[in-house]
Amino acid sequence: MPQHIKRLISVFAIFIVLFLVMRQVLKPSSFGKLGHFRADAIYENTLKPMHYTIADSCTKCHKSVRAEKDKGFHKRLKCEVCHGPGLKHSLFAEQFKGKELPDSLKLYKPGERKDCGVCHQKNAARIKIQFDTINTTMVHQIDLAEHNPPDLKANEPANCIDCHNPHQP
Amino acid sequence: MNQDTTKLSRRNFFKAGTVLASGVAIASALTPYDGLLFAAESPGAKGKWYGIGIDINKCIGCGKCANACKQENNVPKDPFYFRSWVEQYTIKNDGSILVESPSGGVNGFTQSVPDNEIYKSFFVPKMCNHCAKSPCTQVCPVGATFETEEGIVLVDEKYCIGCRYCVQACPYGCRYIHPEKGTADKCTLCFHRLKHGLQPACFEICPTEARIFGDLNDPGSKLNYFLKNHNCMVVKPHLNTGSKLFYNALSPEVR
Ligand code: HEC
Ligand code: HEC
Ligand code: HEC
Ligand code: HEC
Repeated sequence: MPQHIKRLISVFAIFIVLFLVMRQVLKPSSFGKLGHFRADAIYENTLKPMHYTIADSCTKCHKSVRAEKDKGFHKRLKCEVCHGPGLKHSLFAEQFKGKELPDSLKLYKPGERKDCGVCHQKNAARIKIQFDTINTTMVHQIDLAEHNPPDLKANEPANCIDCHNPHQP
Repeated sequence: MNQDTTKLSRRNFFKAGTVLASGVAIASALTPYDGLLFAAESPGAKGKWYGIGIDINKCIGCGKCANACKQENNVPKDPFYFRSWVEQYTIKNDGSILVESPSGGVNGFTQSVPDNEIYKSFFVPKMCNHCAKSPCTQVCPVGATFETEEGIVLVDEKYCIGCRYCVQACPYGCRYIHPEKGTADKCTLCFHRLKHGLQPACFEICPTEARIFGDLNDPGSKLNYFLKNHNCMVVKPHLNTGSKLFYNALSPEVR
């Protein structure tokens, strides 16, 4: 074999060995276990913090509200759809029973007109068909500007919740 | 110009053309087009194989899903980072199509076109399709994004180099580069919630049950019930991404 080919081969061999050694050192141990990715990343993705709970978790402490809601039109609505993420609240609120909640545990109380309008404001795209055959109601739409607008002069009720109970509208 | 070559090349052209056309015809006869069916039967018939159903007829466009997603997953509040968002399609009488999504619908929608100009209007909630043959995982140069056994497309934040290749590759526009982390970010189907046996936040929150989440491998799941009872469609079926996000009442205008 000519001298220069031998040299070339040895240079290549050195590079290949170097590559293999580097790869062994740099490759994360779980890479390739389940495919072309780090298998540990699956576990790492489960470690993110939660903020929302499930609907039933509120029932434990707010039985009366739940009972009230189950009778009204809003029975399908989850508590958190109006009140916002409540995991922290439902874990730590118990000790503040009957007392003022600290700000970090307070939940949003959507009492303004626009909060109800998010679902009830008239919109051509809003639901047109019936939910299912058992419950034949639709999401009724109102025009926020026309449906009992606030009257500043005559101290009349203005907010939706002055007339409608949000849990049993 | 030489007369002979023209004749020859025309003949060759037809020959090659015929071979090509019949080849394509045979190939498509062997593997018929089945954009929807593929995803409905999972590759690994054991374990979970998650899919999503969205009933456009039921969506009232409250945007609570987009809002819940942002809060649950700490998605940046700026109006151009979304894992889940809602679009309002308005088809006007003159045939033009208007697509609106004011900050992703997080704060709800207001009708911007007067009633008498509207032919029809509807909301389309959008999110990652968790494709079974996802283009975004195929292009990743470092293996930082992948499909789990349950059919969920995830990102490895530690391994991602932020090259934006996957953002370009996603035909549904469901990825973005997280401004603080500098890595690709996307819907994980709330993987951290699934592991505790909870539904993803956007499904949990939906006030009209327009969103259905379930296991395609489980014949009794809510999702399979939904798929059996509605004529569902995926977005951009011609791309054959194996999308597992099924829409009921999907209009062809939706892109
Ligand atoms: C561990 C028991 C517990 C659970 C679970 C719980 N709460 Fe509470 N909640 C409380 C207590 C205690 C208060 C304090 C006020 C009171 O005593 O009425 C409160 C107050 C509230 C308030 C009023 C806050 C204010 O500023 O006045 C709202 C709204 C509320 N809860 C909603 C919810 C929702 C929604 C859930 C479900 C995600 C939930 N709660 C779950 C115990 C609980
Ligand atoms: C339609 C949206 C909506 C839903 C759904 C809803 N709430 Fe409320 N909730 C409100 C509003 C608005 C208020 C504020 C009432 C007020 O200020 O008088 C409120 C107030 C409360 C309060 C404070 C006590 C009070 O009477 O002021 C509690 C506790 C509460 N909600 C619990 C719940 C629970 C538990 C659920 C689920 C079973 C629930 N809410 C579902 C809108 C909602
Ligand atoms: C998250 C969306 C949402 C929000 C926010 C919301 N609602 Fe509703 N509301 C609904 C849905 C959905 C229904 C119909 C439920 C059904 O028929 O099963 C409904 C039904 C109603 C009805 C009964 C209409 C009828 O006669 O059929 C009233 C009244 C009502 N809501 C008032 C309110 C008020 C007041 C607020 C603000 C506190 C509010 N809603 C906030 C979703 C919402
Ligand atoms: C002055 C009291 C008052 C206020 C304020 C008020 N409502 Fe009403 N609302 C009523 C009464 C009374 C009815 C039933 C009679 C009717 O259908 O007009 C009603 C009916 C409704 C209905 C059912 C409509 C239907 O077609 O069946 C909805 C939805 C509704 N209200 C939502 C709201 C919302 C959202 C707000 C806040 C923007 C609000 N209301 C504010 C008194 C009020």
